[in-house]
Amino acid sequence: MYYTVTSRLARVIGLAMGVSVLAVAAAQAKEITVWCWDPNFNVAIMKEAGERYQKTHPDVTLNIVDFAKLDVEQKLQTALSSGVTDALPDIVLIEDYGAQKYLQSFPGAFAALSDVVDYSGFAPYKVQLMTMDGKVYGMPFDSGVTGMYYRKDYLEQAGFKPEDMQGITWDRYIEIGKQIEAKTGKKMMGLDPNDAGLIRIMMQSGGQWYFDAEGKPNIVGNAALKAALETEGKLIAAGITKPATGWADWVGTFTSGDVASVITGVWITGTVKAQADQSNKWGVAPIPSLGIEGASNASNLGGSSWYVLESSAEKAEAIDMLNEIYAKDIDFYQKILQDRGAVGSLLAARGGAAYEAPDAFFGGEKVWQNFSDWLAKVPSVNYGVFTNEADAAVTAQLPALTKGTPVDEVLKAIDGEVSAQIQ
Amino acid sequence: MAVLQAGGGVRRYYNINGWLFVAPALGLIGVFMVYPILWSLWMSFQTGKGLTTKFGGFANIIRLWNDPVFIKALSNTTIFFVIQVPIMLFLALIVAAALNNPKLWGRSFFRTAIFLPCVTSLVAYSVLFKSMFAADGVVNGALQALHIISSPIPWLTDPFWAKVLIIIAITWRWTGYNMIFYLSAMQNIDKSIYEAARIDGISARGRFLYITIPMLKPVILFTMVTSTIGTLQLFDEVYNFTEGKGGPSNETLTLSLYIYNLTFKFMPSFGYAATVSYVIVVMVALLAFLQFYATRERD
Amino acid sequence: MLSDRTTALLSSIATYLLLGFVSFLSVFPFLWMAIGATNTSIDVINGKPTFGSALMTNITGFFTQVDVPLVFWNTAKIAIVSTILTLAISSLAGYGFEMFRSRVRERIYQFMLLTLFIPFAALMIPLFIIMGRAGLINTHIAVMLPVIASAFMIFYFRQSTKAFPSELRDAAKVDGLKEWQIFLFIYVPVMRSTYAAAFIIVFMLSWNNYLWPLIVLQSNDTKTITLVISSLASAYYPDYGVVLVGTVIATLPTLLVFFLMQKQFVQGMLGSVK
Repeated sequence: MYYTVTSRLARVIGLAMGVSVLAVAAAQAKEITVWCWDPNFNVAIMKEAGERYQKTHPDVTLNIVDFAKLDVEQKLQTALSSGVTDALPDIVLIEDYGAQKYLQSFPGAFAALSDVVDYSGFAPYKVQLMTMDGKVYGMPFDSGVTGMYYRKDYLEQAGFKPEDMQGITWDRYIEIGKQIEAKTGKKMMGLDPNDAGLIRIMMQSGGQWYFDAEGKPNIVGNAALKAALETEGKLIAAGITKPATGWADWVGTFTSGDVASVITGVWITGTVKAQADQSNKWGVAPIPSLGIEGASNASNLGGSSWYVLESSAEKAEAIDMLNEIYAKDIDFYQKILQDRGAVGSLLAARGGAAYEAPDAFFGGEKVWQNFSDWLAKVPSVNYGVFTNEADAAVTAQLPALTKGTPVDEVLKAIDGEVSAQIQ
Repeated sequence: MAVLQAGGGVRRYYNINGWLFVAPALGLIGVFMVYPILWSLWMSFQTGKGLTTKFGGFANIIRLWNDPVFIKALSNTTIFFVIQVPIMLFLALIVAAALNNPKLWGRSFFRTAIFLPCVTSLVAYSVLFKSMFAADGVVNGALQALHIISSPIPWLTDPFWAKVLIIIAITWRWTGYNMIFYLSAMQNIDKSIYEAARIDGISARGRFLYITIPMLKPVILFTMVTSTIGTLQLFDEVYNFTEGKGGPSNETLTLSLYIYNLTFKFMPSFGYAATVSYVIVVMVALLAFLQFYATRERD
Repeated sequence: MLSDRTTALLSSIATYLLLGFVSFLSVFPFLWMAIGATNTSIDVINGKPTFGSALMTNITGFFTQVDVPLVFWNTAKIAIVSTILTLAISSLAGYGFEMFRSRVRERIYQFMLLTLFIPFAALMIPLFIIMGRAGLINTHIAVMLPVIASAFMIFYFRQSTKAFPSELRDAAKVDGLKEWQIFLFIYVPVMRSTYAAAFIIVFMLSWNNYLWPLIVLQSNDTKTITLVISSLASAYYPDYGVVLVGTVIATLPTLLVFFLMQKQFVQGMLGSVK
């Protein structure tokens, strides 16, 4: 009786082992699992990268799993916090604002790539945000370098030329906006009063962030943040903004032709160009400057990078794949620019044909060349670990700003909320 | 004597059967509810960020009092609960009573139509409502065309109207759901009771007040408790309508959204998040107790 | 007599007005969804209020971006299995708590109701760790396990059991039926409208469940339809036409279940509770 049970057990184990032998054989054709969001952008681009890498490494396949952005962050945070490492992928996409939060809260969870990757070729601000204790942890990917998209036809009706939009300050921008409204009845920009995106753009263009280089809150004495809040207050007071509720509504302000300009990250280009009937009506210029000391006409909004998990079974392959394609393949960057409108952060890529090409939609301007020029000028800041908290605090105070509360009081309120949140 | 002797046997028989019927449910709840709950209770005494935590005693509870965002979330949640639950349940009861008439023409059409909102998925619901309630959306358009308002209502950008919109949305989604409970309970009431009352000359309103409502008491209690829980744990609507921000100015931030932010969006602070969740537990427990008490008193 | 008729007429007009108005408000967003599904993404964003001609493009777009049969199969499997198990386990428990009262079980019942008060977000991390230790991450079993023993449904069945005529049980006992036979052959058929309502509700919650499946499901071949739509809707520039086609498709099964179960309601109403 005992004998038969054990022999049956042995047979079952044998069967199970047979299965696992098969599984091992399958695993030898290495599969790299990637988590990211946006099927038409990140997913498609990673697929392209995988296909390129496979040409030289036919044994490696990519398994790209596509979730919403918030969902990727939530799954990552759950798996890391619970320590269930087999629930993690090999590569994950992380938005730049959140990079330090993950690196510092979960030390040892991500693989340092600084021994393998040559970071000197990337936009410096991208490398800075993924550096911790002298080691660099990610592979810089798409950039959120900002630009000002404007309607040439509305400008012309109000008596302005494209040259009038180059390298201006926000005060000048408001002036132009008032005249455009007077002549055409169009607002200058769509603005979501519950979104701090524009504040972030302006603040980074002024070379500062919610936190200083040591990661300490930098709110009350932050000249760039103060100027940014003042500027947003002026924009609203001037009556040249069209209020939008949420992302889709905001996109609607310019796709419907209701506003004369859009100031945001380069990734919006695809949406702007999707309006075929607006071809030739758009131009792109650098964003306005805050006009304070150290302010520039370049900034960043969003953007994300790839990270390899330390627990990954295919760690070496994952790192090698990222390095071979994202750090070296110039042609890859031309392809993703053409197909997906993705501006990578490898500076050498701008020498390629796609970057040189004029864009008919923008009346033959070399818009990509311009964006990559601005990319190199984006000020490096320390996004720190509490950007989400600070952003929530700023968002909470925006309505007060709209009502005309003095900026210093708004700053104090933001500072109070941030201090309470980051203990 | 014989009855008394049988007593012990009956009790044992009762007991064995009682345990057998409830055992599968209790086993699952023990593993997948009670165990995690105790775990999170333990976590609520931990402080620290991410994986680096240490025992903090009551530090998290002290933190609650000094956290303006928590206070804001608590007061928002209370406002939603106090205003929304009575409106919705009253509406659901009225609609169910109107539908509980077998001679009503188009009855199943109405019932289906009113129940429909709760079958929508979250994503559909939020995309739709945001587009309908946009500043120049169809709702403002209709209200202006009817001359109810003269300028568009800033549904999602004004602190007051944002709260109103959330209340409208939850009421839209869950009134039909509660109505179905009332309706199916009304249909379980023996028709002969109504017949008898009618023969006795009791009016329709009287039959509703003195037969339907008392017979429905268990179900009303049930919907009250579940709606209380639902509203105090309100998350889906505010998360989706405000893109996770609880804006404008934290005016729609609820406790559950704050817990979510503390766990998944902000620097992970699980201990503090667990503490906030126990605030909800205490609130719901108190309110549920009050509701049980209030409905029992009249027995 | 006449005034009685007038009152009756007035009250039925009021009833129809009320029901008509509430129904209109309830259905209007669905109409809006159907309109959106026929429009291009840009028209949806711009709030175009009329039907468009992009329906086929949107449908094709959805079917090329999503493995619809697989996603449907995943979602349906989880929803059906967990609904049946939930109904079975919760109605057994609800019946047990109501019919066989004891002080200990009463306490346990009250304690169990307390578990309803915990916001799910607070339990996710412990639950995830449990599933991780059990090796169940990325399985549909992990999606179902925490929901099938629902304190909420046990409460619902217990409340409904109070309306179950105890004479039926007494009569069955006299006839010599065992407890499980009484439950299966008398309680279940008698309470079928209760089951129908419960089925609709649990199925709907399970079909639309989002937060927990999101956490435990990790790969493309296990994902459910809400996860797929959520990922489509969160692109940098989502195609709202395609998203709305997706939401229409995701809503259809819950509608179907409701329409099928409605007949059960009617049957239950036609009078088995006597």
